[in-house]
Amino acid sequence: MGYVAIKGGGRAIQGADAALDALRTREGEQGTPLSLDTIENQLRLLTSRVISEGGLYHPRLAALAIKQMQGDTLEAAFALRAYRSTKPRLLQTPVQNTANMRLIRRISSAFKDIPGGQMLGPTPDYALRLMRMDLADESPEAFRSMAQRFLDDVPASDLPDSFPKVVDALRAEGLLPALENTTQEAFDITREPLVFPVPRSAALATMARAETGSLLAIAYSNMRGYGDVHPTIAELRVGYLPVMLPHPVTGEPVEAGEVLMTECEVVAMYENEDGSGTPTFTLGYGACFGHNEVKAISMAILDRALQKGMRDGPGNPSEDPEFVLLHVDGVDSMGFASHYKMPHYVTFQSDMDRLRTTQQKQAQSEPSTPGDCA
Amino acid sequence: MNATPPTLPPRGQWPRLLLAVPAASVRALAEQLTHTLQVEDLHLPQSGLGLLSLRDSALNDTYFPGEIPVSRAHVRVTAGSGIPVEGAAQLLDDRASLARAIAVIDAVLAGQLPGFAQVLPLLQAGQARLDADKRVRQALLSTTRVDFSLIGTEQDDDND
Repeated sequence: MGYVAIKGGGRAIQGADAALDALRTREGEQGTPLSLDTIENQLRLLTSRVISEGGLYHPRLAALAIKQMQGDTLEAAFALRAYRSTKPRLLQTPVQNTANMRLIRRISSAFKDIPGGQMLGPTPDYALRLMRMDLADESPEAFRSMAQRFLDDVPASDLPDSFPKVVDALRAEGLLPALENTTQEAFDITREPLVFPVPRSAALATMARAETGSLLAIAYSNMRGYGDVHPTIAELRVGYLPVMLPHPVTGEPVEAGEVLMTECEVVAMYENEDGSGTPTFTLGYGACFGHNEVKAISMAILDRALQKGMRDGPGNPSEDPEFVLLHVDGVDSMGFASHYKMPHYVTFQSDMDRLRTTQQKQAQSEPSTPGDCA
Repeated sequence: MNATPPTLPPRGQWPRLLLAVPAASVRALAEQLTHTLQVEDLHLPQSGLGLLSLRDSALNDTYFPGEIPVSRAHVRVTAGSGIPVEGAAQLLDDRASLARAIAVIDAVLAGQLPGFAQVLPLLQAGQARLDADKRVRQALLSTTRVDFSLIGTEQDDDND
């Protein structure tokens, strides 16, 4: 591909910026600018998606990116990544334990009686997909009183913040392989290119910030038949992970803040192919920033598929690490698609020259037909 | 009747409590405290990113799901000719000025320096805010807890 420098577009580009803002503000005097708090709270799943795909847990900046990019999740994630690239990295956290997540939702499709119980939390899973027309004309008074009314109706509860994991119970029953102590340093995809084969930690990190639709599409191919994971959700959890950092003076762990996360473990087909040891279920794992359930489930399915592909060689696209990991990043794929909008005048001119030459040669080589003679 | 003086929570909870109150209040208090204290920066306050490290619960592999904003500060605070006390903060927040304010308060609390008592109401306000958040989260769980025994009974009824 070739590019050509052109001039004269500066005024047009400035005009395009102004045109974008003109459309954003076209409500005129009746309009109200979206506040970042409004975006963060009322469009919380959109914010979650951008946090996750941007790979930076910064809900406020994600809300700003959504506002700036007028709701385009790919561009918003791009803006968040661009922002993070301007910041120095100060530290790597000690390994955090997601068993400490302060949950707002946990379900299992494997067992009904999971330790601690199932709690649906905030979910539209069981709601009818009918339009709620009352939201179209919601009064500020009703809106402002709703959250308080919800709390007023709830008796005091002594539920714990965190709950035991379902996979730990399965492991205790010998249905899952015992955990091995791994000492391998995790792969940092923001500093190292993916050169295959890559360790599993690179796959997990890549999928954790992958574009949700891309991840879902490849996981869906596995679900529909181009694969054989046949997952059952052992547990899907949404909650706030306390991030513990050492106090610079005392060295003691201190809670520096918390991160909203979604985590999912899927149980897949059991294995004992070599006949040695006790047969156990296999597992897939998915987790990402924010409240993104479809993404976490898709990631868990693909994790299991990739484990199989890394061990036995890929039997289908979803088991091929190179195919999956190089095609799920939203900023990468959006960038490549968008670059086709850039001027390709030289390359296309060349294409046209070649086509015309080929047409001329073909015309010269064709025998003249009798009717052509005068 | 005398009110019970507020007890000081463990040092490991101070940043969390102070992050729960408006940053302007924390900065204002730290600024006020420094009028009577000498504050020396042992490390310049910084803001940037931290790489979050997690262990997956399927195979126990460590991996990085993404980055978090981080700010940090480390100060030495001295009251008059007293013994210097070190204070520090590492926050999941990208405001270096807030990290420095919390580092100053960390030293004041750790050394029980002059102004110590002024910090306690701020910690209490932070605790109240965290309690309110906890109540919301518990409500999300308790109101949506699935009672499978009831479902079983109804199914039995249906089967009858």
